[in-house]
Amino acid sequence: MPGSRSMRQVESALRCYPRRWRGRHGDEAAEIASLLIRGGTPARSVAWSYLMGAARTRLVTGPRRRLGAAVGALLLAAGSLGVSLALLSSPAPANAANVTHSRTAHPRPADLRPAGPRHEIGRGAPDRCVRHDDC
Amino acid sequence: MADPKRDGIGGPDVLRRAGDASVLILTSLADGSKHGYALIQDIKGFAGLQLGPGTLYGALDRLERMGLIEALPAEDRRQPYRITAAGAVALRAHLDSIERVTSVGRLRLGLGEI
Repeated sequence: MPGSRSMRQVESALRCYPRRWRGRHGDEAAEIASLLIRGGTPARSVAWSYLMGAARTRLVTGPRRRLGAAVGALLLAAGSLGVSLALLSSPAPANAANVTHSRTAHPRPADLRPAGPRHEIGRGAPDRCVRHDDC
Repeated sequence: MADPKRDGIGGPDVLRRAGDASVLILTSLADGSKHGYALIQDIKGFAGLQLGPGTLYGALDRLERMGLIEALPAEDRRQPYRITAAGAVALRAHLDSIERVTSVGRLRLGLGEI
């Protein structure tokens, strides 16, 4: 029987699977892990394989879950973008100067441009920042 | 509409995007039902690589959802699987497809046909 520490690693990884999956495969999965470890496969490698399998199972277990994962990813991306834009449009002079590089030959992609009337880039916007007279 | 370039001569190659693990599992099940550990050992024997158990279960679940394998009644803690008729057709179509690619590859490398 493999050491208790090895099996604890595997059991922790198996706990990451959905309950329904564990109900169906859990006992056999633990037995396979035990046999593989006894055969010389490192416990860490077995646990890692189960961990990755659990992540995949949770991501692709049906259209609703996939939709949920996609919506979650989009929200996360939108949140990150929001944070980036907030940083870009912060009142720090260095950032403000960055944003007002609006008439360059290679403008930034539209989705990275901060929205709002204060920074209308490339559409007849004033050359200097209206928020900071010293820009 | 069937695309002869994408689909095998014997039917659509549904395993084309299913991943190597799925093909290995179907190949292993082609000569009889097996449970998880037996599959890992058999695949190690004929393909020389050891499937991770997480990969194995992912592929088993996918193949079962696709109707290419089916679970048999569990024996103790072990869950045997067998290939279905649809699974055998899919495996054959995929092997035909691989065979065509292999032939072209060998010809182009100047190794001739097998």
